[in-house]
Amino acid sequence: MPTLTRGSFAHGATSLSLKTGDWRLQRPQHRHKAAPCATECPAGENPQAYIAKVAEDDLRGAWETLVAANPLPAITGRVCHHPCERGCNRGSFDQPIAIHNLERFLGDRAIDERWNYPINTPSPDAPQVAVVGAGPAGLSAAYHLIRRGFWVTLFDAEPEPGGLLRSALPPYRLPREVLNREVERLLAVGIVFKPTHRIGRDISIDELRADFPGVFLAPGTSRAREWTIDGVVPSDLRTGLDLLREWNSIGALPEYNRVAIIGGGNTAIDLARVMRFMGVEEVHLITFQRLPGPGVRPKDAMSATPREIAQALEEGVKIHEARGVRRLIMRGDTVVGVEVVHMKELDHHGRREPVAFEGTETILKVDQVIPAIGQQLDAATFGRALTLPGVFVGGDARMAGGTVSGAIGDGRRAAIAIQNYLEGLPEDVAVPLRSIAFNELNVNYFEHAPRVQAPLLAVEQRCADAEIEGALSQGTIVGEARRCFSCGKCMSCDNCWTLCPDNSVLKTERTEDGWQYVFDYDHCKGCGICAHECPVGFIDMVNEP
Amino acid sequence: MDSPRSNSHTVAELHHKQPAFRGLEAGHLACSGCGQALGARLVTEAIGPDVIIANATGCLEVFTSAWPRSSWRVPWIHSLFENAPAVASGIEAALKAQGRATKVVALGGDGGTFDIGLQSLSGMLERNHNVLYICFDNEAYMNTGVHRSSSTPHAAMTMTSPSGKMRMGKRHLKKDLLAIIGAHQIPYAATATVAYPSDLRAKVRRGIEIEGAAFLLVHSPCPLGWGHDGALSIEVARLAVETGIFPILEMERGNVVTAMKIRDVRPVVDYLRPQERFHHLFDDSPEARDELEHLQQLADHNIERYRLTASQPEAHDSEGVDTVGRGGMRWS
Repeated sequence: MPTLTRGSFAHGATSLSLKTGDWRLQRPQHRHKAAPCATECPAGENPQAYIAKVAEDDLRGAWETLVAANPLPAITGRVCHHPCERGCNRGSFDQPIAIHNLERFLGDRAIDERWNYPINTPSPDAPQVAVVGAGPAGLSAAYHLIRRGFWVTLFDAEPEPGGLLRSALPPYRLPREVLNREVERLLAVGIVFKPTHRIGRDISIDELRADFPGVFLAPGTSRAREWTIDGVVPSDLRTGLDLLREWNSIGALPEYNRVAIIGGGNTAIDLARVMRFMGVEEVHLITFQRLPGPGVRPKDAMSATPREIAQALEEGVKIHEARGVRRLIMRGDTVVGVEVVHMKELDHHGRREPVAFEGTETILKVDQVIPAIGQQLDAATFGRALTLPGVFVGGDARMAGGTVSGAIGDGRRAAIAIQNYLEGLPEDVAVPLRSIAFNELNVNYFEHAPRVQAPLLAVEQRCADAEIEGALSQGTIVGEARRCFSCGKCMSCDNCWTLCPDNSVLKTERTEDGWQYVFDYDHCKGCGICAHECPVGFIDMVNEP
Repeated sequence: MDSPRSNSHTVAELHHKQPAFRGLEAGHLACSGCGQALGARLVTEAIGPDVIIANATGCLEVFTSAWPRSSWRVPWIHSLFENAPAVASGIEAALKAQGRATKVVALGGDGGTFDIGLQSLSGMLERNHNVLYICFDNEAYMNTGVHRSSSTPHAAMTMTSPSGKMRMGKRHLKKDLLAIIGAHQIPYAATATVAYPSDLRAKVRRGIEIEGAAFLLVHSPCPLGWGHDGALSIEVARLAVETGIFPILEMERGNVVTAMKIRDVRPVVDYLRPQERFHHLFDDSPEARDELEHLQQLADHNIERYRLTASQPEAHDSEGVDTVGRGGMRWS
């Protein structure tokens, strides 16, 4: 039997010697673009990169990719408002990827399996950096500084690390066990933790500057923003965050029957739900923002996480959207009711301001009003420090968006800035990749598939201490990861290689990030089929020079 | 950004290191975005190297064999426009006499199949030679300069069926070749499209494995003759299926046994609009509106006749069949 070789043609006469590449007007080019989940992430994660690893069952690799940006995934997977999912292109197809469930799963798995953070211990003579505040920004900065080869001493005024994560987040959102285990593991990478060190009381900023060439301040915002209505302040006024902190530390609240909470953020929602769990009969939440939903622009919607708002409504919190408090009705110096008025944010010479509409007032009988409208920096202690050389500020103290993930991102950026400062490097000016839009993908190649649904505790079983959203199995998580469109990033689907009429897309060894094709520009005629049919938008057609 | 590690091989070497056999090499002279070149490459990939190909005259023959070069990596013979099935029959008979198992495949365009070679094709099918005949259907004589064939769809404009005062493109209907093939009672006949390579590949393999004559009609867009952007070849071929214009069928002994379901039926104008050959149908005239509706009715008739809609999504319907996944799932 004659055997046929793979290339049973006469070499001298093959058409390969005919370079049809010179017909070309445009050439295909591989160009990675950023997935919207990555550009939306305040913590600087690239969810697509770790989802790709989960899809290939490489859970540890996925976690290591994840913690290269965010060292606290078990926490953010639970408490983040996940703008990644709002950005997810799959949302324009069926439903966004359940990124927060994936993140949480990886974080939990790392804790259970005791995976070590991918960090090299700094050299013994490495420079020392002080980080003030063991909240998300400070923890993140400390971790990223260690990763960059610096020793870190972390100061906090409280006896336990965590900052706002511990003092303000109710356990039904973030179980204390998860918080403790993740933060302990993080500190164990070599961070020296000094609890009960309050700046201005136990140690001064000048002392810190004398001992540490670099200082990062992330003290959070401890002072409540001033709040009055026409100069009237009830004598027993408490802020939302203040009450949440008190409840988180001692587990009790003042006795109320009917309250009005003012604000549309997560603090307002958290407090409202805690009050319902603690048996407050009527909890009214008054916000000039709108309930999120179809047709409501994100900037008009309440800033609280939509999932939390939905659960609060299930639990009987009464949300008065697009309303404001016009007047407090007082008996002596205690509140007996509030006058509520229709309100809307309107453009006033380029600034958006809430406007109240006369003639729309109604009375709501309550025994207390609780503002939850934000905090500010303790300027007396920190005001002067903001301009000192070698001192960097981040987190809520810098008004960095007021979210946990924003603070984590701020901590990472601070670590980079401190490294550049200490090593005399120029500032980072990396141009971020362009984010890829839904219409740049070719979704003909994807099948519809429903998003996973994490189990939720039934409303009647909910209480302040039991986590409401349950965990998912590994199989479900891997299945969910396989729904990912891999926006702008090659996923080796073989489409270009399969569909090239000119045999000019060639397969080669795979790179780390899953890319394994090269173009044969000697023969490619530039038809553009590969670019048009690429499901993930990884191929651009560019003009020939 | 890291580029793939091609440092171990030059691009020229990579042509010989591909994980799948490719019987049609680069450097051929097909137009940019040619559906037939893609179809022929996919077909040879599915057949493998142990094959002899008889090729009828047509684009494929011309663009792959410009003297003194050949793009074929398999034994390949061209004789005439009308006799590829006869040549294939002879090769098959000779191999049989020698007791060899090498496959025999005949390739032709729609001109060589629907018109000029129909007689010899009929003879090959009637004698039930163990040959797979593949017709790349680009719906006109593209090689001679876009002249109408009996496969050209109704109302399409070609050089010999122009649109003007008297006619809106081709006056006659597309020949129902599959019905003629079916009348020969051969074991296997099917239609496929370059838009769905996995389906095409499966059908080629089926046709090769079957003992006896098999026939495959592959819808292959021609950017030049159809007048669409070369980048849209796959898109246009996909739309032909999704609108019901080109039904994807399998036939055994003259009976249609499977029909690919259309998950979301698209209006025929979606298919027609990107193509210059149907441009005149979008004129603001009663004749144009009539013909547009006529083509819609022809598509609806196909959908009814072959029951192309389903109540539920299926894995191999028009949306499911081209699903891809991470790491080349399309070919696994």
